[in-house]
Amino acid sequence: MLEVEGLTVAYGKHVALNDVSLSVGQGEMVAILGANGAGKSSLLGAISARVAARAGQITYRGRALAGVPQHRLVEMGIAIVPEGRGIFPAMSVAENLALGAFPDRARGDAAAQRMEVFDLFPKLAERRDQIAGTMSGGEQQMVAIGRALMSAPDLLLLDEPSLGLAPVVTQGVFCALERIRATGLTVLIVEQNARATLALADRAYLIEAGRIIGSGRAEELRNDPAVVRAFLGGASAGTS
Amino acid sequence: MIMTTLILGLVLGGTYALLALGLTLQYGIARIMNLAYGELTLAAAFVLVALFSGLGLSPLAAIVLIAPAGYGVGWLLYTVMMRPLVRRSGASGRLEVDSILATFGLLFVVQGVLLVIFGANLTSISYLDRGVSVLGVSVALNRLIAFGICVVVGGGLALAMTRTRWGLTMRAVALTPGSAPLVGIDVNRVARQGFALGTALAATGGASIAMYQTFSATDGVIFTMKALIIVIMGGVGNVTGALIAGLALGLVETFVATAIDPGLTLAATFAIFLVVLLWRPQGLFGRG
Repeated sequence: MLEVEGLTVAYGKHVALNDVSLSVGQGEMVAILGANGAGKSSLLGAISARVAARAGQITYRGRALAGVPQHRLVEMGIAIVPEGRGIFPAMSVAENLALGAFPDRARGDAAAQRMEVFDLFPKLAERRDQIAGTMSGGEQQMVAIGRALMSAPDLLLLDEPSLGLAPVVTQGVFCALERIRATGLTVLIVEQNARATLALADRAYLIEAGRIIGSGRAEELRNDPAVVRAFLGGASAGTS
Repeated sequence: MIMTTLILGLVLGGTYALLALGLTLQYGIARIMNLAYGELTLAAAFVLVALFSGLGLSPLAAIVLIAPAGYGVGWLLYTVMMRPLVRRSGASGRLEVDSILATFGLLFVVQGVLLVIFGANLTSISYLDRGVSVLGVSVALNRLIAFGICVVVGGGLALAMTRTRWGLTMRAVALTPGSAPLVGIDVNRVARQGFALGTALAATGGASIAMYQTFSATDGVIFTMKALIIVIMGGVGNVTGALIAGLALGLVETFVATAIDPGLTLAATFAIFLVVLLWRPQGLFGRG
């Protein structure tokens, strides 16, 4: 569904991503794991047209994404939950969700889509009139994910959904991702929380200093000693 | 006495509100601080006079023509003059400064053209200039019609902004332009629409002023200043806020003119402006 080939992203002389290739198949959940500054967000930024690529190609359903402006991607079926969430903080939850259904592709089923989102995040239904910016970090993340789902996407891009959230809140977010996953939606997730992500994803790519240093099926990576040491923390690895 | 002040103040405030609506759309949605706003208003006022005295067209019919023409002029101005500035500024705050400088130049261009075509004399038309009794207060019919236009246009716009999906899109771009592309909104398109609609409102406001007031080609800056004050009082991009602040300013000016001294109206306007800036810089109805 999504193919990335030889992608290089640089800011001035600093090369953030170097010759990265990956693919995401229909119905798959693929994770990009890496430490802070490894280039994860540049990767998602390049796919979502927020960051310009210096070299390489990104194709979605056989169509090259080069030169496609950010706002067109949603119409093509790619929904993005960026780092920092990108919600409309001065607007109500209901308005945020209504804006999520702005693309033509979502207009027909906005009501049904909203029922699904409320089903997934009952809290959003309770707080539908609350101004989104006054909610807690976890609740704002729900708004961001809910809004992305309102566009009836075929591919959901998540940029560090657990960033800055308390562990118990993170757990809630991953529970929701598990249920989204169960609907068969294709997901590409970038995360630092390798343990929770590997428990959920089908496949993962490991990224370090702008390069892919490994990839494989999630259950294999969970048991790979090198991965355990570098990404999962040796001590508690045995329990997973 | 109080009734007179109230009714005359509301009628004056209606025009102010209409003027401020256009500026708040241009600044709030397109992020362009249009210093030539008052000149565009005046241009429409002169066009109304020309259509009325030259072709004998009824001012109401003329407004129906002038409003869409204003939209067209705004669309053109944005595409030719503002778009390059927007493209150059990217996400930085440069657009504000650049647009102020560019429209400051535009101000003199439009003013110069108006002076050449229409001259520097005071201009006015005589249209339905007879008193009508409103709750015992005599108000000129032309002023009442202008007020009616403000109520219909302003109220319609406020409803559209809060109740329709078009308005939701406009508000989204005004409040958080960075997030708008994430839901598939083309910010440039919405900005152009906002700027064009703002110019249409400036034209409608100018044409309705021409129905009852005497004006000259150099009055533009006063319109811009008053509209700007109302926009800041109402909160940038806030349509309902601009409506209320506009009516309030009309009331205060009328009150000061009748109760204290007509020469103090401008001073009173700026006094309110200062208080708002010091006390609530986000506007009377702004959040936070």
